[in-house]
Order: sequence, then structure tokens, then C-alpha cells
Amino acid sequence: MPEPDGGELGPLSSSPTPPPSYPLRHSLRSPLSPRVSLCWCRGNSLRVSLFSQPASEVEFGGEVVELKLNDGGDGEISNAQWRRIAYGSVSPFAMLQSRRNSFSSLSKINSSPYHLEWWEYVMEYSKDINSLLGNPKSSKNSLIEDPKTFVQKSEEPTCLKAAWELMEMFYADKLSQPWLPERLVDWLADYDSLFARAYGTVYSKLLNFQNELINLQVIEDDPRYWEVIASALAVGWLEIVVKLLRLHGSYQLDQLSNREAWEKWRGQINKLDCSAFWIQCHHVQTREGLRNLLQIMLGNMSSLSAATSHWLELYISHFLYVRPFTAGLESMYSLAQRCIQLKPMSNSHKLMGVMIGILGENTEVVLAESSKEFGPWMAAHAIELLTAGSDEAEALLREERYSLGEISLEELHRLVYAQVLSSHALSWQIAPVYLSSCLKQGMGLLEILLYRQPVPHKELLLKNLEICRLYELDDISSNIMKMAGVHHWKHGRKGSGVYWLQQAQDEFRLNKIAQLLFGSVGKSISDESFKQWEGLIELLHSESKAAGGLEFLLKYRDFKRLLQQIGDGKNDVAAQQAVESLMLLMKNPSTPQRFWLPLLNDSLKLLNWQDRPLLNVSQTNLLLNKLQELSIARLRPHFVKPDFPMEALNSVRLSLATNLGRAILEE
Amino acid sequence: MAVTQLPRPPEVYKLPQYKYVDAVRWLPPISALDRHAVLALFDSDGGSSTVEIHSLLNPNPDASSTAKSLTTLAAWTPPSRVSSLKTTNLGHRPFIAVSTVDGSVHVLAAQNAHSLVEMGAAPRVHAGPVSCIDLVEGGAECVSVGEDGRVNLVSLGDSGVSSFRFFDSNGLVSYSAARWASPNEFATGGLGFGLQWWDRRKPGGPVSQFKCNWTQGRASGIVHSIDIHPSRKHTCLAGGSSGTIFAWDLRWQQQPIILSGVVMGDGSKHSVSDSSEVWEVQYDRDVKSSNASNFSSSSRMLPVMMCSEDGILAVVEEDEEPVELLAEPCAINSFDIDKQNPSDVICSLEWESVAILTRP
Repeated sequence: MPEPDGGELGPLSSSPTPPPSYPLRHSLRSPLSPRVSLCWCRGNSLRVSLFSQPASEVEFGGEVVELKLNDGGDGEISNAQWRRIAYGSVSPFAMLQSRRNSFSSLSKINSSPYHLEWWEYVMEYSKDINSLLGNPKSSKNSLIEDPKTFVQKSEEPTCLKAAWELMEMFYADKLSQPWLPERLVDWLADYDSLFARAYGTVYSKLLNFQNELINLQVIEDDPRYWEVIASALAVGWLEIVVKLLRLHGSYQLDQLSNREAWEKWRGQINKLDCSAFWIQCHHVQTREGLRNLLQIMLGNMSSLSAATSHWLELYISHFLYVRPFTAGLESMYSLAQRCIQLKPMSNSHKLMGVMIGILGENTEVVLAESSKEFGPWMAAHAIELLTAGSDEAEALLREERYSLGEISLEELHRLVYAQVLSSHALSWQIAPVYLSSCLKQGMGLLEILLYRQPVPHKELLLKNLEICRLYELDDISSNIMKMAGVHHWKHGRKGSGVYWLQQAQDEFRLNKIAQLLFGSVGKSISDESFKQWEGLIELLHSESKAAGGLEFLLKYRDFKRLLQQIGDGKNDVAAQQAVESLMLLMKNPSTPQRFWLPLLNDSLKLLNWQDRPLLNVSQTNLLLNKLQELSIARLRPHFVKPDFPMEALNSVRLSLATNLGRAILEE
Repeated sequence: MAVTQLPRPPEVYKLPQYKYVDAVRWLPPISALDRHAVLALFDSDGGSSTVEIHSLLNPNPDASSTAKSLTTLAAWTPPSRVSSLKTTNLGHRPFIAVSTVDGSVHVLAAQNAHSLVEMGAAPRVHAGPVSCIDLVEGGAECVSVGEDGRVNLVSLGDSGVSSFRFFDSNGLVSYSAARWASPNEFATGGLGFGLQWWDRRKPGGPVSQFKCNWTQGRASGIVHSIDIHPSRKHTCLAGGSSGTIFAWDLRWQQQPIILSGVVMGDGSKHSVSDSSEVWEVQYDRDVKSSNASNFSSSSRMLPVMMCSEDGILAVVEEDEEPVELLAEPCAINSFDIDKQNPSDVICSLEWESVAILTRP
């Protein structure tokens, strides 16, 4: 149902299976008026949530349904095909943008005749894009031609491709400018079939007749035979006319072999117009049919009108037989208006708006129509054609408009397209290419897009970070890594959490999680669980980047290794190293207090070293001070009691005292 | 007269799938004439995944064109999206191991090209996605690793599929790649370019760990893929972040052999991919190049094929310029070299398509 503002209510896809609905539990008890909530979710889906009062205890209070909306339009191109077009357009688009940048800087310096004109670059771009929209009409000529096939049924062309070629012809291809009517004749020959459903066409007439051909005995007796010949002639499909004439009963081999023969034949008929031929010809249908063909070639309006199905065909026949020397868009436009008057459109067709906009030289209308009929992809990419070599159009589409929030029409359409790409899990990665070409708001939206990508999936995260690197968005990249780090940490993947926080150089969070980590690190040297930490500690080792408070773990591990090396208590060198390591640990402010006692307890072997005291006086004093600090801390109200036996404290104190005595004697 | 021949570029066929290609492998031959590939596809419109056997066809065998096409012959539906896919030949029958993002491992067998049968599954052996699986050569045993820090052994026996948790780091270490070296040994890789060597006869932890402090702080990253050559089981080849490809020789543990990457810093070596992720590495089995004889005896690294996030498929050799086979505008997420026909490579492209390369 059309709305007053021209918007339409889109139809829901009539898929055979209804969309799945999910129950929504809520425990709201008070009287509840039913509510509906609508919001967009992934891609083209609309999420509809219904809240209501549960009728009974067992019933859920609500329901959520995800509805997939139709793309709108006639569904000419499926979602997957649209994505393929989107992927394929990235390179040509990016290439043209980079050429534009170098072109504008180059043309300022010199306008060398050896360089390509701008429109030639646009043409290259246009050809690349066009090749994505479908195969060119294949004129597959098999070796043995079926005489009864005059219309080749090839792959159905798309309106999208037809519209693109139309714009290419009128805006980008400067070589075709003097030949626009001729190019239009060829264009209609390729795309007439598109109008079949809306208006009926010469093409469909021909196809219908071809299908009935086998049932006809004497073809020239059938009035439709002459009708289709007249129609094909009116729109200039001479090859088909020749093929059809060959089916005439009086045709002899080699009478009509090619186009030249056709020209000759036409000349002869022209001469024969006033000759005795008409008296000699006794077959009335042939006589009348041929006379009609002559009228068409002579540009008889009523014959042309009768032979054609819609205004475009009539328009083409005018170029061929009435006004063969039409030139200039102005006269083309007035001719088109006349043809529309003669054959008014009974219903609309998505190509017509674009066509009339082009002939009327109204760039804004062309852009609006192509956006409306073919979607944001078309608008974003066709602007390049519209602005090719036309300063006026360029000014119009690139001028910043107050009503659009200080952005240009060009940027607006690129942003809209980028938003469409961003909403899909498979196409969001190409949105940055378009966003980065938007000077005003592109980067802002790109940042939002990058932040919005989920972090749990490793490959996706790395792809996201690669885009950050490409656009030199270091801050965002570091924030994303922090998000990933926290996510992994929360989900128990401590190694990944630490890794990403380290990559982000987030010392603050590393210090925080260090405190949490120490709580679960095995404290005693004999603790088997410490082995599990080796892998994580190895990871810390790989980074020269500060590991924050986690640095302690690394030193702690090294210290433990040294203690293990001492083994039977004979290795003097290793023991001395272990002492150095212990002192470093005890002096380091990042060593948590709760590790002091376990560290000292593990070091009993060093403190009671047989041969000589390993710690000097000042070292021993430092350790004694630490022990004292620990004892005082015990008296504080919020002290967390370590799970360590009291005897350990005493034996450490005793060993330290003994060592102090020995060290004093030694010195 | 000496003629320097320029290397001929490979023939490339791009085959759009209209679905995201999660993984791709060649299938070991079922019959003498046919060639098949296994594709793990994800249909984003319907939100469904499939594992499919495709036959590689030449549509016009008599025409001069050698264009190729893929035709689906058999399909199997996994419970969730596929994260890793491996194939092997066991008793003249192709086997396929599939892991999913839901942490399950499945073993499939191809009776013929038209039937794909699930032989068994090990559900939820990982908490979260399985990062990587590897099938032992000529056997039905899989090693699976995940970000959850578990290392599982999943094997197909007479009574179906059984799984065994070989190691669990409880999330303290995450693994992202795994590869068998022999029926008893395998290597894993993970964060910080770390590599671990495991022996199933010695449970309780890795038997050897690669010291990964060689990057000297310039860059660090994640190992995405490992390969081990059957003739050089002591060398573990790895590819990962920042365009890095390196090899770790178990007998020479101090320093890795670096084939590519920014970690080298001195600029004297070649970097194939400018600090992009190297998603997969495999030893190039197509060694018919002139210097093939050089590899047999020397300690020189064998040539390595790699694919990357910035769309490069290339062959990298020690101290030589990399040879680019394919440069795409989108990421190349995985590839596989045909064991029977090593000049043929199949790879999956980010933009919902598959490319097949035939090297001259």
C-alpha cells in the first residue's frame, strides 16, 4: 500500500517455514499491559519482542521473533549476488579514488597531452563494474544454425546492468556522445526483454511467434508473421528480419545472405514501389506485408506506432526512420516526450525514471531514481559516472549542503552504502574502503564500526586489528586489544587475557590482574601446580614490553629454577646467584607482601649454607627488616592471614639471626 | 646458449561459492580419475554450516578452455560452524576430521564421493571453539587444541570415537595450532610465538618448549599454523602474526630459522607479507625446481608455501625472494597442496570464493 510520502510497506518474505520464535521469560507480576518492541538486528532482520502477562504459571510472558525483511524491489538479485557485486566493486572503486588523488595533483602541475583524460579512467572503472553485473549478451553462434530460431534466448539480463550501461553511455563515455541515438538502438536490442512484463515488447512478440512456429504450415499466410517482421524492422533488428524473411515460402537459397544483401534488397523494393511488382504479386498477405514494411521504412507514424509496444521502442524507431539525424540531448528529450505522449506508460518500470532523468539532463533526479530503484550500492558507485567530466554535476554532487549536515550528496550516498555493508557479518570488512573516502564523517563512523566488532573470535579480532593498522588507528587498536584481554580474562583464559593486555601495553589492568593471579600461584617450591604456570610465565618472557606487576612472576620463576639447581647443597656459584635473585625479589616493590614469607622459607637452605654465610650483614638486615614489617602488619585490622604455618616464621627468624652472627664474624 | 626462463604464472580459477568458506582441503583420491575437494561452508543468510565433497570438473573437456568448476556431490551438516578441517587416507578410504566453534570434534568417512558418513563425534571436548585439529598421517587419531588450554586426543576405534584429555592448562596457556610429527609426537603453537613439543608417552606437560624471547621486543604474535615435514621431523615450521614464518630445530634450540617477518629487523632478509597475519604454512611439495637437489642433503630449509590476510599466496625460500602465486584484494584464509598432484593448490578467499591454482 503506497504511503502519502511515497514510502511503501515492505512485504515480508513468504518463506515456507515460519521464522523461529524464542520464549521470553520474565517474572513481572503486577498487572501488565502488553507491549511490543521493535529493533533492528543482524543484517536485514527485524527483531520483534512481545511482552504480555503470562496467562498461566507454565506460560512464558513473552516472545521474540526475528523477521527477515525482503530487499524490496523485484528480487532480481539475491543477497549472495549482491555481496559478490559488493566484493568485486571494492578494487575498481579504490583504484579510481587513488587515481583521483594523483590526478588532481598532477593536473595542477601540467596538463600533458600524453596522460589519459579523467573520463578514460572512469571508463575503465565502469567497464570493471559492468563486468560484475552479469555476462555480456552472448552471441553464441553454433556451427549449425537452426533456421527456425531467430531470437536467441540467452541469460536474462538485469535492470541493474541496463541502468549502469545507460549511465555509462550518457555520462562517462565521451566517445559515444555523437552517437547517442545509435547507442540507444543497440542498448534496446540488448535490454528490450526487461520491459516484457510491464508493457509487452517486440521481443516478447517475437519469442511467442517463434514458439508457435512449428505449428504453422504456410508461414506467409499468417498475419502475425508480417506483424513480427514489421515490429523487428521498426526497432532496427535487421538480422532477425532477414532470418524471418528466409522463412517465406518463395525464398530461395542465397537470395538473402547478409546485411549487404538486405540493403540491396531494400533498394530494390524502394524502386519496386512504383513498379509492376505489386501487380505481379498475387499473394495478398505478402503484398500487404511488404507494403507495411515500406511504410515503416518511410517513417509512417501510424505504421511505426502499430509495430511497437512501448514508448522506448517507438522512440528507437523514430531514430531509425523518422529523425535519423537527431543530435543533442535537448532534441532527444523533446522527441522522448512526444513518444511518451503517443504511447503513455500504463505502469511504471524501474528503468524509466532513470532514463527520463538522463534525457532531461537532471543529475539529481538520475541519482535519486537510481538510489530508489537500485539501492545504495548503485547510488554510491554511479556518482563516479555522473561526475565524470562534467564540472556542473561535480559541483552539484560534491558541494557541502547545510541540509545534509555539511556533507555532500556524494559523501551521503557513500556513508549510506557503508552502513549497509557494516550491518552484515560478511561485508563489514569492506565498509572501511568507502568510509575512508568520506572526508567529513567517514573516520568517525569507521571507529564506531571497528569498536562494534565482536572480540571473542580470534580470527575476526585479528582481521579487525589489521584494518586498524591499515588506517593507522593505533588508539582504537589498543582499545580493542584491551577489550579482548578483559574478555578472555573474564572467561578464564588467563593466558590470552595477559597476552592481549600486554599487546595493548595496558599496565593498569595488568597490575590489577597480577594481584588476582598471585592469589592462585603456587607458593612453595615443591608445589606441583607451579608447573602449570610455566607456560604463562614463558609468555611474559617473550615481551620486552612491561608486564606490569606480572614481572614478579618471571623473577619468582627464575629464583625457583636457581634453587632447584642448587640441589644437594654443593653448588656454590648457583647458590650465590640464588641469593642475588632473592635480594632482587625482596627489594622489588612489585613483590607482593604475601610472598615474603614463602620466599624466605624457600631460602632456608641459603640462610643455613654450610661452608660460609652467603648473605652479608646489610643483606641480612634488610631481610630481618622485612620480617619485622610482616610481624607488624599482622597486628593491623585488615591483615589477610597467610596459609602458612607459624613455625615457618620462627625458623626463618632463627636462621636469619644465625646468619647475621656468622656474617658479622666473617666481616 | 643459456636461456633464462621466466617462471610461468600458474593458471588460476576463481569459483564463487556465495557462502563463506570456513576451510578447504583436497580429498585423498577415491577413484583414479576423479578429483575431489572438501569444503566447509557457512551460509550467512540461513545461518547454517555444511561440510561438502565437491568434484572438480572440466566442463568442456574437448574445448580448448581448461576452465574448472566445482559440483557438490555429498554434504554433511555439523552442529555448528567449522573451525578446522583435515583429511587423510586410511585403508584406501578418505577420512575427514572436523572441529567446530562449539568445541566438538567429528570424524567422517567418504565411502564414495557421494556419501559422507559421520563415524563418531566427541562433543564439547573444549570449552569454546576448537582452534585446530590434526589427523595423524594414515591413522584415525586426532589432536585437538583450543584457547581454553586443553590438548585432546580423539581417536576412532571399533566402538566409535573416543576422546582423552592429554593436558589441560586451565586457560593459563592458549593453543592455536597443532601438528603431528610422528604417531607419538606432536607440536603445538600459541601466543607469543610459543611452540611446544609433546610426546604422548610422556604426559603431564610439553617435553620441550621453544624459548620465544628471540623477537627482542620488536613484535610478538600468535602462531596460526604449523607444518612438519616427514623427512625432517626435528624441524617445526610455524607461521603467524606480522608476516612471520620461522622454523624451530629441536637440535638447535637457541635461535629459530627465520624465513620471513618483521621480527628480523636488520632488513637483510625477505618479508613476504608486510606485517600481515600468515594464516597457514605448508611445505611446498612441488619441488621440481632446478635446485631441488640442494635440499636433499643440506640443512637448507625446504621451500614453504604460505597464505596471508593481505591476500598473498607465495612460496618462500631461505635467503631468496619469495615467489608470489596469487595476490588478491581480500584475505586468503587457508590453502591446501594436493599430495597426489603437488602442482595443484586450492585456497579459500575471504570474499566467499575458492581459487584453484595449477602450476606449470
